Amino acid sequence: MNGDSGAGEDAAILPLGDRALLVRFAETLSEDANRRAIAFAARLDAYPPDGIEEVAPGLVSVLIRTAPSVDFWRLSGELRLLVGNEVAAPGRRHEIAVSFDGEDLAEAAALTGMPPGAFIARHNSKDLRVLATGFAPGFVYCGFHDNTLVVPRREKVRPMVPAGTVIFAAGQTAIAATPIRTGWHVIGRTAFRNFDPAQDPPTTLSAGDTVRFVSAR
Amino acid sequence: MTTITILRAGPLTTLQDEGRFGMLRHGISASGPMDRGAFMAAGAALERAGSTAIEHTQGLAFEADEAVRVAWPEARHIKAGERVEVPAASGNYGYVRFERELDIAPLLGSMATNVTVGLGGYKGRALRAGDRIALGKRGVPVTTNAAAAAEGPIRVIWGIHADLFPSALRQRFGEASFRITTQLDRMGVQLEDVAGLFRDQRRLTLVSDFIVPGDVQILGDGTPIVLMRDHQPTGGYPRIATIVDADLDRFAQMRPGTMVNFRPVAR
Repeated sequence: MNGDSGAGEDAAILPLGDRALLVRFAETLSEDANRRAIAFAARLDAYPPDGIEEVAPGLVSVLIRTAPSVDFWRLSGELRLLVGNEVAAPGRRHEIAVSFDGEDLAEAAALTGMPPGAFIARHNSKDLRVLATGFAPGFVYCGFHDNTLVVPRREKVRPMVPAGTVIFAAGQTAIAATPIRTGWHVIGRTAFRNFDPAQDPPTTLSAGDTVRFVSAR
Repeated sequence: MTTITILRAGPLTTLQDEGRFGMLRHGISASGPMDRGAFMAAGAALERAGSTAIEHTQGLAFEADEAVRVAWPEARHIKAGERVEVPAASGNYGYVRFERELDIAPLLGSMATNVTVGLGGYKGRALRAGDRIALGKRGVPVTTNAAAAAEGPIRVIWGIHADLFPSALRQRFGEASFRITTQLDRMGVQLEDVAGLFRDQRRLTLVSDFIVPGDVQILGDGTPIVLMRDHQPTGGYPRIATIVDADLDRFAQMRPGTMVNFRPVAR
């Protein structure tokens, strides 16, 4: 698709302590870097090099935890050969019903210059991708909204919002799967829970999956 | 069935096994013992040890309703109904291990407690007086390659954001002393930047990226925090360095008030 950011050599392979390394596709968040990170993690899942204990895709990077004996330079050379420009194939599709009654909905809508109804319609108007799971168990970043829906975070952090809270900032919508503190705008809530520790795997959404938000009836 | 009853527990007394690995893609950090060496040593003191330890911070008192072998870290035989007083460890964390497994259902493959998110261990929380834990099947022999207790600066590898810090500041980071503060728990250890290295730290906007235990992050106000076993899986503050695996136990045991130096080493 849009693997047009140059050759795989532009990925940075960085030590993260002496038991992990990071393959970072960009220093700022972009559609391309995110797709490449997800694709690279999937590739390592399918063909794991020796000495790798864990692989996880992030927003713009892939974390690789290594066994104690692994030589960083040898492994990074091996990874360098595997890094490509391929982008992830679309994952599974999920529809997530949201009650748009969050305490910051009006404020978030105002920041976009839209009345709340128009904001919600725009928010739900296109498929988003799960960019990454991170920050807290089952917490997913979904993006990207178009430019009219890019607003900064709030000035103040809310000390605790419950699981199921739907939050919005930086052209993304995220879903809290556990109680978290957040500086994002609370725009709604969902009955969907992306984290169930009694299940293995404990999360439903994976990086690269497609998410469509709809208004709960 | 043998049952132990907690009679006294300091704050942050938790059940820990080696850790809940492989769950980072679900947003779950591994947890596990703050001092793996001490955890292993208590296990190795027994002929067989259950996989799970009680990690305590200020000593522990418990009793068992039947005789059982236990180590903290020297092995002992305790009698039924005997009140057992485990003294506080010389650092921040001590370990009590039993010859048998703790009869608690593992969660996502591990008995480790992550108190931050209320996951695993004993009902996802710290132990307190009155809690009862049954002992299950016999454990397995534990071997440990006990390394000599190292001294001197804590070794670090430059972090994933080290290049965002001026080279003069990086130079000073390898020379300056930091003080361990009382703001420490299983999630992180806040340091006092005695020399004021990061006094003029500006707030940086970074993409949230993976955290590993031992990461030294600098908050927007210049406060250094070393992230520990119950760290958030990802974070957006710049990380100047990461403590090497072999030195993380020793760092975790440093008491508040201790001065610590970091020595950058090559990977």
